[in-house]
Amino acid sequence: MIVFKTYFKILNKLKFPIILYTSILIFFSIFNMQTSDSSNNFIATKADVAIINYDDYKGITKNVIEFMKKNNNVIKIKDNNFNLEDALFYRDVNFVIIIPKNFRKDFLDNKKPIIEIKKTGDYNASLAEMYLNKYLKTANIYLNVTKNEEELINYIERSLSNNTKVEIISKLDTIALNRASFYFNFLNYCILAGFIYAISLIICSFKDEKIRKRTIVSSMNYKNYNLKLLFSNSIFALILWLFYVLLGFFILGDVLISINGLLYFVNSFIFSICALSIAFLLSNLLSSKNAINGIVNIIALGSCFLCGAFVPMELLPKTVLKIAHILPSYWYIKNNEVIKTLDKFNFMSLKPILINLIIILIFTILFIIITNIIAYKKRKID
Amino acid sequence: MFYHNFKYTLKRLLKDKMLIFWTFAFPLILGTFFKMAFSNIEEKEKLELINIAIVNNEEFENNIYFKEVFKNLSNKNNKERLFKTKYVSESKANILLQKDKISGYIVLKNTPKVVVINNGINETIIKQVVDEISSQEKIIKDIINIETSNYLNNDLFKKNSISNDFSSSIYKKALKTIENSSIKLNDTSNKNLSYTMIEFYTLIAMGCLYGGILGMVAINQTLANMSRSGKRVAISPTSKLKLILSSSIASYLIQLIGVFLLFIYTIFILKVDYGNNLFYVIFLIFLGCLAGLSQGVGVATISKSCENTKTGILIGTTMLGCFLSGMMGITMKYIIDKNLPIINMINPANMITDAFYTLYYYNTPDRFYYNIISLLIFSGIMIFISVLSLRRKKYDSI
Amino acid sequence: MKSIIEVKNLTKEYRNLKALNNLSFDIFEGEILGLLGPNGSGKSTTINCILSLLNYNSGSIKIYNQEMQPDAYNIKKDIGVIFQDIAVFEELNVYDNIDYFCGLYVKNKDERKELIKDTIKLVGLEDFIKFYPKQLSGGLLRRLNIACGIAHKPKIIFLDEPTVAVDPQSRNNILNGIKKLRKQGATIIYTTHYMEEVELLCDRVIILDKGKIIASGTCDELKELINIEEKVTVEGIDINKNLLKKIRDLKNLKNINNHEKTLIITYQKGKNNLIKLIDFLKQENLPYSKIYSERPTLNDVFLELTGKDLRD
Repeated sequence: MIVFKTYFKILNKLKFPIILYTSILIFFSIFNMQTSDSSNNFIATKADVAIINYDDYKGITKNVIEFMKKNNNVIKIKDNNFNLEDALFYRDVNFVIIIPKNFRKDFLDNKKPIIEIKKTGDYNASLAEMYLNKYLKTANIYLNVTKNEEELINYIERSLSNNTKVEIISKLDTIALNRASFYFNFLNYCILAGFIYAISLIICSFKDEKIRKRTIVSSMNYKNYNLKLLFSNSIFALILWLFYVLLGFFILGDVLISINGLLYFVNSFIFSICALSIAFLLSNLLSSKNAINGIVNIIALGSCFLCGAFVPMELLPKTVLKIAHILPSYWYIKNNEVIKTLDKFNFMSLKPILINLIIILIFTILFIIITNIIAYKKRKID
Repeated sequence: MFYHNFKYTLKRLLKDKMLIFWTFAFPLILGTFFKMAFSNIEEKEKLELINIAIVNNEEFENNIYFKEVFKNLSNKNNKERLFKTKYVSESKANILLQKDKISGYIVLKNTPKVVVINNGINETIIKQVVDEISSQEKIIKDIINIETSNYLNNDLFKKNSISNDFSSSIYKKALKTIENSSIKLNDTSNKNLSYTMIEFYTLIAMGCLYGGILGMVAINQTLANMSRSGKRVAISPTSKLKLILSSSIASYLIQLIGVFLLFIYTIFILKVDYGNNLFYVIFLIFLGCLAGLSQGVGVATISKSCENTKTGILIGTTMLGCFLSGMMGITMKYIIDKNLPIINMINPANMITDAFYTLYYYNTPDRFYYNIISLLIFSGIMIFISVLSLRRKKYDSI
Repeated sequence: MKSIIEVKNLTKEYRNLKALNNLSFDIFEGEILGLLGPNGSGKSTTINCILSLLNYNSGSIKIYNQEMQPDAYNIKKDIGVIFQDIAVFEELNVYDNIDYFCGLYVKNKDERKELIKDTIKLVGLEDFIKFYPKQLSGGLLRRLNIACGIAHKPKIIFLDEPTVAVDPQSRNNILNGIKKLRKQGATIIYTTHYMEEVELLCDRVIILDKGKIIASGTCDELKELINIEEKVTVEGIDINKNLLKKIRDLKNLKNINNHEKTLIITYQKGKNNLIKLIDFLKQENLPYSKIYSERPTLNDVFLELTGKDLRD
């Protein structure tokens, strides 16, 4: 009992990093909760567009702006050079349309006025450009037919007013599950940076040369003592895991009351056990607390960047993902990604998840074996 | 004396492994992670070919125009190619969609219908293309109508006798009108649009500011109320300000070496683009390190807490500063710049990041100068505060 | 003798606590002054004030007849201090540590080289020049600490408990070193808890308690102060009240204490007290197992003056 008590007293001193990483998790998870409703109706993706109009807001000019507004999110930006360029660079807008003075008049006079654009060169920019092209093309064609502005606009509007039927066949609540995966992927960072750090430091305190000597000379059975330490660590891991599960419910809500949710929990639980074994390994490998701090940071950041906790897996280069195979985090995050898309639950669909879990467990066993080999060798040197 | 202390400060700082790890190695490693994680993001955001399927039912086979358009948009040699198209049966298309092999498929039944599995940009583009085909069909109809009525109005002779020849020529003409009606847009976008660069700029900013820890440690060792060796220094017949100056310069030198190593690494290994003005960039690094140093010296002299706490303060403020200037997501910098500019005006990490950004993205140097002046003011204030608190020579308690 | 340090009415307060209370004393050229006192009595504070490290509320400190100031560099160059805590750089080896601190005093490189060589010889660290502090044992570390403080051959040396936790050999080495320094003409201010060191070394002693000087003088002067000349202990004796009364009547006797077959008798003055007691015991035919006489030590003086309550 005294070992257990002391363990949690030392832990209390180390609560700061855990609180820190948990707040980061909460912050980013909530930051990620941008509103979009999860109905089964098709919602066209809209590009963010800024429109700077130097012409009068009338006639064909008005019409083109209205058309763009209908099909894109128009972001209001003051026409100040920095504002516009900044917005473009930071992807606040994907596409900027600058309508020159006398556009309407020149257009109707068939002088072919040129619209200035700025674009970010990504998907959304291409989409916005498609809309603008479509409008201008149509307008040009009808200009050959009629010079009457009202008639022209009529023609354009009629021919552009299409709405192809779109059917969505999946019933999976993708947005909510995306959020859940984000949360559990980010949890990877908390577990590695906060949890491993705290545990390795506690073990390091207990294993401190002088303290270990005191312990060995005391009347407590040393093996028993080690078991108690292991027990304390497991309890701590369990408590922390439960805490993160509850926090997940708090942030994500009902999505987790499902088989997907259950799978997320199992996955994070197995990963917590693996993290525990990493902490054991580190505290046996390193003796200085400073060194532990450095190594834990590198491991945590490395695992998160290379395995897709910060940047989604599908955006990572293939070579990086190949390297990531040697890290347990890869399999943990891969599992979260699989769970996200799961809507049928049978042996076939659960098989990849099981395989990943087994790989994480193999890592765990491997770490435990290495820890024991190191501990054994160190004892010999003593 | 100056050189003596300078030499030994160098020796001491370089021997401190933890210090060197955090100021030299850590930014390098973090930068490598950045590179590995971010190198693909912008590529993936560019429009790639979209996998689609079209149900090859009878109606599709008969709709020549529709067929033609998709053939064209799926043509390898077309510059504006959008799709990789499979022509399959509806049930097959459904399976492909379920297996995530295609983004959606199109069925023609009276009107075209798009079937997708979720909302998204690819799905929107498919719909948009189908929309456009419908529009063009309408346009063709309009043109034919107009041309026909014109023809009929002009040629009274041929009233009621529109030949097949005529209608097909008119149809071709309409198609041609559509094909030829290309429009011109004047694209004035800046070519340096790679926003992941910001990550690396914040990294350099972090390197500069972390370097302040070196200055803090060096100064701490000359302060009697901070370290035992400081007591020895205090009772020796040397001017404290002189010692602090030489310690500061020594740590500044190490800091510069560290940041320049990082800088060279980012240029040659991580391929970071710093724009065209190398002279300005180097000048900026010197100033950034100065800001870091003055922050370190400031914390060393103002705070009375122990060295670990001071290190914590420096790491904490640096990380917070880097976070606000976009290290953990560049959107953060934009949000702050747009809504709470005052925060980033006093944030040295942002001054450095924004100056790099300006050099990379803008051709005009005004905003760069603004950042440079901000850095100078920041350093000046920190140094002023340090000198003020260093003027006190005796302590109330040690 | 010339007074080289003059402390007058020195008072320092930490909030409500008077750490130093109107302290006045002189230190004379060439002497070894022992500064004694229980933990927290103000010894280190006094030294820190003299060194101009600490602010004080009132009073004056003059060295060489000149007001001591943080920038009185001409005075500082003659002072060497060995602090209680080890004050060396972990990152520098033995030679570099000494060189660094010596370099704060002596600019000339060649001169410094000589000084360092002498110092290393004086403290006996010849075989450890390239060692880092972490690799040194406790005693060697203490010696390095001393070397860093005295390498520049100071004329006034403050030693703040330099022999704490040091083995007898190292301590001997250190004490001999101090004697050598005095021979070379240094004035030494020495604080310690080891009374026998003080008796061995110091010409004069100042005893501080609660920020006040409670006694000062040579060792002998101090011993006289407490009116004990001799203490006789008789072990293994059975004595009744009657006999005890008879002993009380003996000459020169100051105090008598009988406890568990042990009799402790303290005498104020006089000679042959022990012989007279032995005669008396023989006369009364009282058996005992052991009898011995002790002259009072500084320890007794210290405890007598400062009381036996635990400090800190």
